[in-house]
Amino acid sequence: MVAVDIIFAPIFLSVLLYFLTRNNQYMAKYIALGWFVVQFFIAFSWYNALPQEGFLELGSYLSVPQFGFELTLRVDALSVAMLLLTSALLILVVFTSWEEKKQAAYFSLLVLFSGPIFGVFMTTNVLWFFMFWELTLVPMFFLVGYWGGERRIYAAVKFFLYTHVASMFMFVGFYLLFKQTGFWDLTLIRETALATPALIWWFMFIGFAAKLPVFPFHTWLPDAHVEAPSSISVLLAGVLLKMGAYGLIRFTVELMPVTTQEFSIWMLIIGLNTTLFAGMLAIYERHIKKMVAYSSISHMGLVVVAIATMTYDGLSAALFEMIGHALVISPLFLIAGWLHHKTHTWYMDEMGGIMKKAPYVSAIFILAGMAALGLPGTMGFVGELTIIISAIKSFGWWIAVIAIASLISAGYIIWSVRRAIHGEMSPIVQKASFTMSYPEKAALAVFAFMIVYFGIQPQPIFDLANKAFSFLGGM
Amino acid sequence: MNFIILIAAGLLVPVFYKSNIFIAKLIAVAAFVASAVMVYNGFGLNNVFPYFVLDGSTKLMEYVLLATLAAVTLSLSGFERPLIAQMLFVAGASVAILETNNFFIFIVLFEVIAIISYVLVANIRNFYNAEGAIKAFIAGAVASGIILLGFALFSFVTESFNYAQMNVQGKFTLIAVAIMLAGIFYKLTVVPMHAWAADAYSQVNHAAAAILSGVIKSVMLVAVFKAFYKFLVAYPGATVLIFSFFAILTMTLANFMALWQKRISKILAYSSIAHSGYALIPFAAAASVYSYTGVLYYAIAYIFMQTSVFLILNDLRREAGVKYLEDIKGLGEKAPIHALFFTIQLFSLAGIPMLAGFLSKAVAFYAGIDAGLWPIVLIGLLNSALAVAYYAWIVKHIYLNKPVEGSVKKINISPGSLIGQLILLLGTVYFGIVAVQVFNTTISM
Repeated sequence: MVAVDIIFAPIFLSVLLYFLTRNNQYMAKYIALGWFVVQFFIAFSWYNALPQEGFLELGSYLSVPQFGFELTLRVDALSVAMLLLTSALLILVVFTSWEEKKQAAYFSLLVLFSGPIFGVFMTTNVLWFFMFWELTLVPMFFLVGYWGGERRIYAAVKFFLYTHVASMFMFVGFYLLFKQTGFWDLTLIRETALATPALIWWFMFIGFAAKLPVFPFHTWLPDAHVEAPSSISVLLAGVLLKMGAYGLIRFTVELMPVTTQEFSIWMLIIGLNTTLFAGMLAIYERHIKKMVAYSSISHMGLVVVAIATMTYDGLSAALFEMIGHALVISPLFLIAGWLHHKTHTWYMDEMGGIMKKAPYVSAIFILAGMAALGLPGTMGFVGELTIIISAIKSFGWWIAVIAIASLISAGYIIWSVRRAIHGEMSPIVQKASFTMSYPEKAALAVFAFMIVYFGIQPQPIFDLANKAFSFLGGM
Repeated sequence: MNFIILIAAGLLVPVFYKSNIFIAKLIAVAAFVASAVMVYNGFGLNNVFPYFVLDGSTKLMEYVLLATLAAVTLSLSGFERPLIAQMLFVAGASVAILETNNFFIFIVLFEVIAIISYVLVANIRNFYNAEGAIKAFIAGAVASGIILLGFALFSFVTESFNYAQMNVQGKFTLIAVAIMLAGIFYKLTVVPMHAWAADAYSQVNHAAAAILSGVIKSVMLVAVFKAFYKFLVAYPGATVLIFSFFAILTMTLANFMALWQKRISKILAYSSIAHSGYALIPFAAAASVYSYTGVLYYAIAYIFMQTSVFLILNDLRREAGVKYLEDIKGLGEKAPIHALFFTIQLFSLAGIPMLAGFLSKAVAFYAGIDAGLWPIVLIGLLNSALAVAYYAWIVKHIYLNKPVEGSVKKINISPGSLIGQLILLLGTVYFGIVAVQVFNTTISM
């Protein structure tokens, strides 16, 4: 029962939380924090109980025999990795939004978000997967739309509509899966032959591609990330984008490997395009948070390239990069948002000399930036190196052009560090006072620690990858 | 038996209008509960008259109908009291039209419901109400004439009016059915026969609009599907062509029209028209085993959400004079309970999961996929994604915009409204997560 409660309890808990803490708002964050810690430990208990290969069964509920509609819950190493990442980020987000306004509503929406996001990674029933997938949009819509920046309403509505429309294509793909196999459950669908796999594949790909996002479908992301409060940007980049990558692995690579093999060259081209194109846009950008947002898209493009290899090495690299991306981009978003909050400007060339006034934050910005460009000793290095090696193994030497992406990221990161962190102290920075609360500092320190720890000691993540992708060969 | 209780209560209730409105409401709710109990025990019209059957799906739809009407009764205010008796009559005619298995009786009851609906909208308080009421009446009268013409043609070629034994292969059947459908499409507000509905739903008293657009339309959907099922299966080519065409036309046009509106009631009216479009997809897919499930599920979900939104709007209009989108800015702070109910039901209409609106749409559209109509389903899904724009736009005004000075005063919800809304919300949430009854009663394994 724990498994189904962890998804549905937040719905009731969030309503309760709102009405309990409406009059003493400071309580809300402690209750939310407690809930996220509980979620983390439950996910951790599943991590310990994982079998060497395949799924850990967690039961099934709400069966409708005539429609095959059943909430089947099971987790494998891939989902456990995502669950641990999600709950860890949620815990850190509580710290980074320690002084957010209207805390009762804010934290009850965060708690509301924690239910369906767990559902997405836990269910193997396609219809329930879609339901949870869509439900995550609702709290995000309010979080971006109420707590965001100046153009928050535009960004929230655009984000909601854009991803919702893309999901509709995905849903037609799911419908066709059920029509042609008679099952909603992934494990059963996998064993049945499909009549029109190509059609289904493309419908599903559009849905995941818009969430990732890849190049032609990316336009919602810069708006949503820029206008969202920084803590919500962390969740958007760290969790929502991962839903797209997770779906791509679950529904294309695992579900229809033959068709994916057929279209892997398209995935490769789309992924490469995204990486290079978003990297170029990041160089061009003066807006610090937009620069980080494009860098985020660029890294997700690398994940698509890794998934396109369809090999054990590639998918392990993709999983590592997914986690690495979440841990690297999050502090960048947090610091970019914090800098705007303190200096009231978004533009890097109006900042400058921040290092002198805020050395701690600047050091972490530089560390995370170095991880984003792939400095050895950080997570970014391991992720990018494994991706490049696996891509060369699968597609041949020409794919080494992907290293240009690393060069481009070195370009925009180093240039932005040069403009914003070092250099002459600008008058804006001179006037501003750079104080940061201890919970926020602690959260940044945790991010920095994890970037370095997993950069030196990547084995735990690769162990998970080994369990998740052993069906592709394994070590 | 349920029919007799409802009609008797309808005749009794007006006695208490002058003295005590509370007793009138109590009698009405008691009548709804009593007839639901009767339905549960199998005492429908089938015990009294031939031509009626009470099967599982009919029972389910009747529970939903009676619960919704009880919720509406509870949330009515004093000056809407004529609606109580009219609702009891609507309920009586609705249970009859749901239970019948005879085409002649179907046509008669269809007209009866039409006449009650003219009375329903005739609660005229200003010019604006009058325009809506007159439009509903004239369009309805035209529709009745057309239906009767088609029915007259059909009655030449058939020997039995029993749904199962009707002669659907006769010479003029196809043309007769087409003419009848033209009339019925008026009632189901299918584009291009929708123009009256956009005005009528938005301009008459909102409580009457809730019954007209939520309750009566849902009942009509189920009843029309049951009555026409044999024709739909007999002429698969024409069915797919006609219903797909009108489904696409209705949902697309209504959604685009809804996007431009400033008046909330008008948005809800166009949304109601768009929902008729979605509901036509399982009609087009009559060949699928899921078609009846789709129609029934759609009707069940729709009755809860549409009734609820109009009732909330009715409350807001009465208490704070809310008319335009501008007026509900900051409603989340001024009327938190209303705002919460409104938002959840709007999200349900938009098709957000865990609410009935999603699962009903999923099942209804699946019927289309099952019949091989995936391009139409794709258009339907994209339309429902487009529709999110105007539902989210209302929600945006409620929560994300700051209140304009003097736009809304603080509104408290009355206990009756609260109970009514809770009943409707329970329906929306229950049928959004648990679907097993709908499938059990329509598809036997």
